[in-house]
Amino acid sequence: MTPTVKNVALPLICLALLLVVPAVVSDSYTRHLFIIAFIYAIIASNWNLSLGHCGVFNFGHLTFFGVGVYTAAIAAKTLGVSPWISILSGGVTAALAAFIIAAPVARLKGIYVVLVTFAFSQLAMQLVLSQSQITGGAEGMVRIPYLKLGDYSFIRDYKLGYYYAGLALLSVSTLFLIAVTRSPFGKSLTAVRDAEDYAASRGISVSRQRILVLILSAIFTGFAGGFYAIYLRVASPEVFGFGTLSLALSMVLIGGTGTTFGPIVAALALTFATESLAGIRGFEEARFIVIAVAMILVLRVAPGGVLGILDRLLPSARQ
Amino acid sequence: MSSPILQAVGVSKTFGALKAVNEVSFSVNRGEIFGIAGPNGSGKSTLFNLMTGIPFGPSSGQVHFEGTQIDHWPAHRIARSGLCRTFQKDAEFPELSALETVQISAAYNGRLSRKGAASEADKALDLVEMDAARRTMKSHGLSVYEKKQLMIASALVSKPSVLMLDEPASGLTKPEISNLDALLINVNKSGITVLLIEHVLSLLLSVSQRLMVLNQGAVLAEGAPAEVVKDASVIEAYLGGRG
Repeated sequence: MTPTVKNVALPLICLALLLVVPAVVSDSYTRHLFIIAFIYAIIASNWNLSLGHCGVFNFGHLTFFGVGVYTAAIAAKTLGVSPWISILSGGVTAALAAFIIAAPVARLKGIYVVLVTFAFSQLAMQLVLSQSQITGGAEGMVRIPYLKLGDYSFIRDYKLGYYYAGLALLSVSTLFLIAVTRSPFGKSLTAVRDAEDYAASRGISVSRQRILVLILSAIFTGFAGGFYAIYLRVASPEVFGFGTLSLALSMVLIGGTGTTFGPIVAALALTFATESLAGIRGFEEARFIVIAVAMILVLRVAPGGVLGILDRLLPSARQ
Repeated sequence: MSSPILQAVGVSKTFGALKAVNEVSFSVNRGEIFGIAGPNGSGKSTLFNLMTGIPFGPSSGQVHFEGTQIDHWPAHRIARSGLCRTFQKDAEFPELSALETVQISAAYNGRLSRKGAASEADKALDLVEMDAARRTMKSHGLSVYEKKQLMIASALVSKPSVLMLDEPASGLTKPEISNLDALLINVNKSGITVLLIEHVLSLLLSVSQRLMVLNQGAVLAEGAPAEVVKDASVIEAYLGGRG
């Protein structure tokens, strides 16, 4: 398998298959799972941009998602903005939140980045809980306006519109990630991750690249948050919680840090795996243990993630 | 004599009670090859570090480059201004190919466009005579000599006015050292001033026009290489132990 097959042909085949899924799968629940998987895939693959490609241990990535969720919810429901514009505004505010969080962490290293970014996510959650007159507090916000295109409601036809909107958002996000990681800027992120001093000696500003990567990783995560709020018509403070964070992190680690497609594949696989396990009696809660074990096994056996295993099995795929 | 391009004025670096570099002053003239020698732990690499801001500047003293005080500048700004260095230990971006490594240096240090960076990267790798077939390999698979070639090419691609080399010959074979010798002379002839830290004395003595010897963080001797190696304190501190 050549790199062209791995990086171009396989993703295009996967996209083609996902495009025809609604023709085969007509039940609303399975389509819902796909939509949720697309959202997680956007979160995980964009998180991987900062964590995997640049080595920034940002544990506040879900904050960007939460900011997107609440921005879209408030814009669409409270301010009466079009849901389409509300989704886009989620990306803008998430990027702004990233800029604010990036400034203090740009010069920090390792565990300090984890602590500061995690504290920031908890701060965001407390802000949402305390400003209940705007955010609905612990109850959250419900009955958020849904997407429409002319007179066509996206809820109709077993969520067909949401399925394709979610897939389109994931596709554009993936193209964006490919463009970023293959650019000289993307290469400089890898340089900063692997040899900070050497990168600085070649004219790369380490702190500037860290700030930029956090902002870039927040944009589509914020769009995904906005889409999530408009799709589920709910905004709840759980999005800032440790459960969502650990699930998204497991997708990045199982999929493989530093690869663009790994976290996307893992997001799709884990969303369906956890839902299947939830349907088995006695496994309702044990599914999280299964994910944890899978994460430990992958990190132990193939630190490069599932796509790393693929490379090992098909050595010619290596560059 | 040409004007100093690089000047250190009483620079020191302390780590707690240890003075790794102690009040070192020297100037490097435009266009020369300036050698720096000294036993292990004498402060040679620390001196390079504090002059290039990687990862720290001096605790006290000043560094002037092209007439501008640069000791408070961040490392990437110093590099972009034309003071470019290599590292003693293998510095590499293991996941990037040799070509990509040189290209990002051209893009950031040299501020070139994508197309310009690609073309200059090829020229820089040609200059250090790196095997064309090895240029697209990930750097972690390269040999010690190829990694040295790559480090020098990634420094040269931005056309620095001063190239600072930290023990480029360590771990190399005799034929490789003689290639390096020729490369350094060519680089210098192209107008680039070279600062060279080296343990391989034959290389240092054959290419340097002036030599400075450090011991315990301070300057022990400075001058023409032939004179410096005859200095009694240098023989005692550095050369004596080697026979």
